[in-house]
Amino acid sequence: MPNPVVVVSDLSVERSGRLAVEQVSFELPNESETAVVGPNGAGKSTLVAALLGLIPKKEGTVQILGEQLSANGDLPGAIRSQIAYVPQSLALQGRFPLTVAEFVGYGFDPPGPRWPWHQHQRRKAAVEKSLDRTGCIDLRNRLLSELSGGQLKRVMLSFCVVRPRQLLVLDEAQAGLDVPSNERFQQLLLELRRQEGWTVLHVSHDLDMVRRSSDQVLGLNRRLCCSGSPDHTLTPERLIDLYGPNMVPYRHQCHG
Amino acid sequence: MVDTQALALVLAEPFMQRALIGGLLTGALGGLLGSVAVLRELSFFSDALGHSALLGITIGILIGVNPTLVLIPFAVLFAILVNQLVERSSLPTDALLNIVYSTSLAAAILFLSLVESYRGGIRQLLFGDILGVSSLDLIVIGMLLAAALIYLSLSLRAQVLLTLNQDLAGAVGVQTRWHRLAFIVLLAVVVAVSIKAVGVLLISAFVVIPSCAGRLLCRRFPLYVFVSSILGGTCALLGLLASGLTNLPSGPSVVMVQFLGFLIALILSSRVFRRPSTTEPAPQP
Repeated sequence: MPNPVVVVSDLSVERSGRLAVEQVSFELPNESETAVVGPNGAGKSTLVAALLGLIPKKEGTVQILGEQLSANGDLPGAIRSQIAYVPQSLALQGRFPLTVAEFVGYGFDPPGPRWPWHQHQRRKAAVEKSLDRTGCIDLRNRLLSELSGGQLKRVMLSFCVVRPRQLLVLDEAQAGLDVPSNERFQQLLLELRRQEGWTVLHVSHDLDMVRRSSDQVLGLNRRLCCSGSPDHTLTPERLIDLYGPNMVPYRHQCHG
Repeated sequence: MVDTQALALVLAEPFMQRALIGGLLTGALGGLLGSVAVLRELSFFSDALGHSALLGITIGILIGVNPTLVLIPFAVLFAILVNQLVERSSLPTDALLNIVYSTSLAAAILFLSLVESYRGGIRQLLFGDILGVSSLDLIVIGMLLAAALIYLSLSLRAQVLLTLNQDLAGAVGVQTRWHRLAFIVLLAVVVAVSIKAVGVLLISAFVVIPSCAGRLLCRRFPLYVFVSSILGGTCALLGLLASGLTNLPSGPSVVMVQFLGFLIALILSSRVFRRPSTTEPAPQP
């Protein structure tokens, strides 16, 4: 297994005609959790999109599991199938005819065309197991569009865990969750990460959660302003550097 | 009461048989692609393409080529142009579609005013002439239905993920740009081929109404696609039979039957999938 899982070197990305990410370099060590933090418009989601090959990069290189991401964002299927992604939201306007079990089943299928009945029994068994692991088994026949925000996020983790993967990327996955749902999601993510040996990269605005769960923090404001362990990165001085003088850093007493 | 003798007479006519098969296939095709188009908020695209197709037909008339032959490349070109505009412009999709479709409609009307007489007649373009469907048309529509069925079956995962979240689809290996373009081109070809039978004004109903009815009735995605297609075909068949018996225009008759089907689906869905009562526990976070 290659170590580190992701190597980003001098990455620059343009979005809407302006440089959104400039000369960013970092590594994601195997089975580590890395948080990307920074103000709105700092290029966090752009960085994630470029890393996943969803938008073209202007300069620099991205290497995932030992394979270079091509200029147009292509990766070999075997590498692509090792990546899981949890977006901020899904387009579920109105009544969307898709059950939880079906959605999770689409996470089981590798990339490429195939008939819907291909590997039906194996897929069904994997879906049941993953829904069970995330505490969503009772939701399997519910429509995805009928779920609450917290349930939907747990179902998305079922989608990721339905077959073995190595890299999990979350783009503000906890946005819009209330405190208990956020706690439950965090707990589940931590549990699954340990069981699966995932390397995790997540974009977050929840600095308290980042401090508790991350091994590494990347402070991004177009450029990489700071990086390192949470204790090293999330100091009041560095946070003011990153977010500006209006930032008032504090730590929950209960988490010490 | 249905006059069975009149029905038998109508069904015995070869043109009516072709019309019924054409209607069945066109309706099924509209429902099939409509199921994905509606979820991807492309309902207005089929409407805009239908109206813009008038320009394609007019160009065909002006250059002296069978309008049906011009219509397919025109529709594909329109689809690619709109797709590029949507990808590159920061304007909302519905506004862009409105600009393209009203401009092409205006150009079509201007060009048509230059043509002294058109044998086909503008009424036929607007409302379609399912009775004029030829055997060749049936073969083309049949092949298109088979192609659409195979494409959607093989790419069901890609279509669902692309509809839910483009980034999610791209991250797990779906060729998002290719699939988006392929679907929109397929939809454009289907709209172009169906216009002869259905007409410019009513084409979007064939795409939107059966799939909305299917959406109300189904919970599983493959079943939803299948039911939308079956509803599209069945409504078209019943509408054409009603039109043949009552001597009313075929396109509008089909749309009225589709609407009836939608109302039935609405009633069934409210009974089958009733809202949770207040005594049921609230969803857990």
